[in-house]
Amino acid sequence: MTELVLQALFSGVLIGGVYALVALGLALAFGAMRIINLAHGELVLLAAYMAYLVESRTGLDPYFAIPLALIVVGVASWILFLLVDRIKDHRELNSLILTFAIGIILTNAILLLFASDVRTTSSAFLQDAVSFGDVYAMRGELIAFVLALVLMGVLWWWLKSSWYGRAVRAVSSNRGAAQLMGINPTRIETVSFLVAGALASFAGIALYTMSVVQPATGHALTVKAFIITVLAGVGSIPGVFLGAVLLGLTEALTVTFASSALQELAGMVLFLLVLFFMPNGLFGARARRG
Amino acid sequence: MVRKTLASATFALALAAGSAGAHAEDAPKTFTIGAHMPLTGTLARSGQAFDEGMQVAVKMCNAISPKYKVKVEVIDDESTPAKAVSAVEKLASSGAVAIIGGYGSNIVGPASDASDKLGKTYITAGAVSDELTARGLKTFFRINNNAGYERGIATLLTDLKPKSVSIIASTKEAPALLAAGLDKDLTAAGIKVTVHKFDPAITDFKPIINKIKLQDKPDIIMMSAYENDYVGIIRAAKVLKPNVKLIVGTWSLATPKMYTEFPDLMGNVVGTSFLPFPVEVKSEEGQTFAKLYKEMYKKDIEYLSTLSFVETMVLCDGIFRAAEAGTLESGGLSDEMRKTDRDSLLGRIQFDQTGDNPNFSLSMGQHRDGKIVLVSPKSAATGEIVYPGLPW
Repeated sequence: MTELVLQALFSGVLIGGVYALVALGLALAFGAMRIINLAHGELVLLAAYMAYLVESRTGLDPYFAIPLALIVVGVASWILFLLVDRIKDHRELNSLILTFAIGIILTNAILLLFASDVRTTSSAFLQDAVSFGDVYAMRGELIAFVLALVLMGVLWWWLKSSWYGRAVRAVSSNRGAAQLMGINPTRIETVSFLVAGALASFAGIALYTMSVVQPATGHALTVKAFIITVLAGVGSIPGVFLGAVLLGLTEALTVTFASSALQELAGMVLFLLVLFFMPNGLFGARARRG
Repeated sequence: MVRKTLASATFALALAAGSAGAHAEDAPKTFTIGAHMPLTGTLARSGQAFDEGMQVAVKMCNAISPKYKVKVEVIDDESTPAKAVSAVEKLASSGAVAIIGGYGSNIVGPASDASDKLGKTYITAGAVSDELTARGLKTFFRINNNAGYERGIATLLTDLKPKSVSIIASTKEAPALLAAGLDKDLTAAGIKVTVHKFDPAITDFKPIINKIKLQDKPDIIMMSAYENDYVGIIRAAKVLKPNVKLIVGTWSLATPKMYTEFPDLMGNVVGTSFLPFPVEVKSEEGQTFAKLYKEMYKKDIEYLSTLSFVETMVLCDGIFRAAEAGTLESGGLSDEMRKTDRDSLLGRIQFDQTGDNPNFSLSMGQHRDGKIVLVSPKSAATGEIVYPGLPW
């Protein structure tokens, strides 16, 4: 039984790290602009397909696709921002509809370009098993987890210490006041979207190395990222990590002690419970940092 | 070049049928077949493969029939039941004489209901739920069913005489139904069965495989799932290495495509199959299908494409017979379909009173270094099974 629980905890933490990586970009855009980017999962998926493209065409490790993914997803994010920025009335609601529509367009564009087949890495190195005593993981999962930790640290530092990071927080707190202080909100929001796109690029490549992707995957990723963002509390980077790990652990333990058929349900119950008892999320407004 | 080759093949087919020129002076009458396919959405992979087989079948139907022709109008149902119903209504209103159904019992169910209300014959190869035939619709037909898959897998598993089997089953309708049937069959054969149902959204199968490894300790892992699930399950099994002897799956697993895309995961894995690979098709119709399919899509025939090819050929036959009898316009197609009795790549096709094909049964194929060897039932086997045999 101990072995079973340890493996569940280990798998839960690892998958939680990747969930966090997927959710980071959505949380950043949500925190900075109060915009829920419902095309975020599709941006992650686009990066995953860049990894597939590079691996299948060149035989290189999927992580060599990072520059290409940064460019492609960066351009897509920028175009997305330009469209969102044109919304003048009811921005929060209208951006939901707009980004949802863009998500559908991206999914179908990916379907047309890459067909509907299931894709995943063929790298033996990334698929190799790594054991720590009685618990096992794929090397790709461990790399993705470490990548998630590093990127979260970098993002947290950027938001806390850099001028742009502080400007993002200022625009997020009070757009008008930030403008009066000499900050160009549009430029800051563009930077936020581009950083969110960069995070989606890393997330997509990590996802490709440890899981399977197909064109319909994007929407599920957005839903998962949204749940984590709400669990965390708007704008909290450490909260995103803890929320994601909590979700990963809940799912893994549900599989181990109940049924794998209840895994998604358990995640949604956790989401509802947090919303019910802590409407601001685990690290809501009062405890917000970063 | 492709067009030229196709034209040659078409001409050769017409000659082979011995009917070329017999009615050259008559303008052939063209009938529209409507089809709703999940070309986008979660089932896009299946829908596109179905579409390919259907297109080849239409080409072949037209090549062998000088008097009547068919054309197919396809609407993307986006993998949703509501869109499928609306597609059926639109196709019927635009003059389709029959409808070819899409994929998934939850989509085919309401779509075939709508088709029945409109009096249109509906045929499918992508919905195996027993509930579909229990409705008693006079216009509903299908060439494959859960019982056939169940029979094929249960035959292999009982022949291997394992002490216990762990079934990993998606909660989607068809895999869940198959898992329940296998649970019953194998338990009746004295085999201990444990079923692990999983939500289709699951991406990490290690916790399930670990339960199987530490608690069930089975001889065989059986997967009742889809392609993306197979990859996740086998990959998790490769990491945790449970002490099993064989991994068995269902549809779309024992295919050349799966080996091409996931060679490191497929070694010795067994799945349902019609044909060995390299493809050995004995019938003339099958050989022409394989040849045309390769010319059109630059690949060997696929599992799902074969299913849709057969259903379309069967429907074409019915349409031509009804047209010849003069009953097509007056709703006689369903009666004509019920008279179907023909050989196909799936074996003999007939329809009972519920519209089901009672003869449907499948072989089991094992991946062996890029080839697929039929290993069960013995009557169809092209080689001995490697048992124990694992991808690692």
